[in-house]
Amino acid sequence: MEQSLRPVVDETRGIYRVPRRAFVDPGVFERECRAIFDKCWLYLGHASELPNPGDYVTRKVAGRPMLFTRDKDDQYHALINVCPHRGAVVCRERKGSSPAFQCMYHGWVFANTGRLMVVPGHAGYPADYKDDPGKQLSHAPRFDRFGDFFFVSFAADGEDLATYLAGAGDYLKLVSEQSSKGMTIVGGTQEYSIRGNWKLLAENSVDGYHAASTHSTYLEYLKNANGSTHDTRLAGFGHDLGNGHAVIEYFAPWGRPIANWIPLWGEEGKREIEAIQQDLTARLGQERAERIAKQSRNMIIFPNLVINDVMAITVRTFWPTAPDYMEVNAWALAPAEESEWLRKFRLFNFTEFLGPGGFATPDDVEAIEKCQTGYQAAREAQYNDISRGMLREGGSAYDDELQMRCFWNEWDRRIQEHGA
Amino acid sequence: MTREAEIDAMLLQHRVQSFLFHEADLLDRWQLNEWEALFADEASYLVPPTDVDGDFADPSKSLFYIFDDRTRIHERVVRLEKKGAHSEFPRSKTRHLVSNVRASADGDTIEATASFAVWRSKDGNTDIFVGHYAYKLVEIDGALRIAEKKCVLDMDALRPHARISILL
Ligand code: FES
Ligand SMILES: [Fe+2]
Repeated sequence: MEQSLRPVVDETRGIYRVPRRAFVDPGVFERECRAIFDKCWLYLGHASELPNPGDYVTRKVAGRPMLFTRDKDDQYHALINVCPHRGAVVCRERKGSSPAFQCMYHGWVFANTGRLMVVPGHAGYPADYKDDPGKQLSHAPRFDRFGDFFFVSFAADGEDLATYLAGAGDYLKLVSEQSSKGMTIVGGTQEYSIRGNWKLLAENSVDGYHAASTHSTYLEYLKNANGSTHDTRLAGFGHDLGNGHAVIEYFAPWGRPIANWIPLWGEEGKREIEAIQQDLTARLGQERAERIAKQSRNMIIFPNLVINDVMAITVRTFWPTAPDYMEVNAWALAPAEESEWLRKFRLFNFTEFLGPGGFATPDDVEAIEKCQTGYQAAREAQYNDISRGMLREGGSAYDDELQMRCFWNEWDRRIQEHGA
Repeated sequence: MTREAEIDAMLLQHRVQSFLFHEADLLDRWQLNEWEALFADEASYLVPPTDVDGDFADPSKSLFYIFDDRTRIHERVVRLEKKGAHSEFPRSKTRHLVSNVRASADGDTIEATASFAVWRSKDGNTDIFVGHYAYKLVEIDGALRIAEKKCVLDMDALRPHARISILL
């Protein structure tokens, strides 16, 4: 008999087990594509990536080549970057500024609104051919923004973006509010891959439990390099944000360019950090300012957007192309008005922990890839355990596994709803 | 070029090339403390991302993969010497091929460029990093030392792998 795909859950006894088959089965991967990636709101990009009318970026979203544009009237568009004629990818640049795009194959030209403008040799077509709705660049079926974060959905129907984001919306605001001028994606993208199932990175990104073991060398480094506030211990809570989204919010020993000072930044840096915190307090009130300045947050927005507001802010997506392989993209987000000095420290901080060359991410990758290898025995060693903290009184700790349970409940709901 | 100038250029070329080959050998033998000792007191080790012009990008303005000052170069080695650096424990096997070396002296600084291909093998996977080095070398007590080592990846993205957990 085929092993069940459903998590084994018993709230009263504190049991939550996830079948490892969910990480290796090609059929499960196919179902996820239909039940999750064809339906959910998916992150496309940030407004700051298109600072001027005419700007565009191209990237893949759930495997689809997308062209994200801003037209001359400041309207944003999420276009499917595929020629309606015979299907070639139209814009082949990563980013730039252009009012129009010409397909290299037969030369059709499209405005950055998606409108077909020129068909070479048009005499071969009826007179009104260019106006045929089927001959324009397609738009993502749904496209919306939450603040400066843009999302698409490939399902024509479904709940609106704000409803979908549920409690995650306020946490996106906690990021946006760090600037009075707007947050900006800093140039330079970390693009890498992990030989593991995409859900492993969803779990890992909000896993407070693994820090002490997986990242012992990083935590030791912080002490050595004056990079820490010695009296701060890792401590905080995990929260269910609804719809599969979850966050851990906690105090940590690392410096935060907004606005947790560390000795490495010197006395001058201290004055700058204090000024930032004063500005936060003036704009947002004492409590919220304090929370933004001092606490770190790792958030997963179902299914595959991670925003970690830690020693820097990373915006991260990860896209499966097979059960055991994912493509990861990571950006740094920062207040637009940040001084050169602080921007430098932010990026210095980012690279100390995060990304393929950091002091921590390679060990996360090791953990993820070793899990994936372990799941080759999914028939014999069947279950993951994510029950930590289920019976704890007084709320979930940052190093409990509530976050993963939120993710898996939603995963299960969507997979079941979709059917086999 | 006069004959003397030509001989000077040859000597410089030979010296820089030997230095880079020595460095590659240390890395492939995981002699990390010796590797670290090749750096000057003020130094940086940089790996830009692949979607910017790595020859000109500034790590204080765009996000890099690696943005180490001298302290962090040291800490990187300290970390890699520990068992807790899980990605490299047990150690991967690496091989650095260094070629197309060019060097020119500009006052006290020697600028050198070279092409590299680095293979990292572990757990059934062999991954390749391809790119070019841009060095700033200085002479300290008669020996060459690295003031800056920049590894520009000539790759579309860091795929299919994820880890610059070795030293490039
Ligand atoms: S495929 Fe684009 S013009 Fe023919
Ligand atoms: Fe981690």
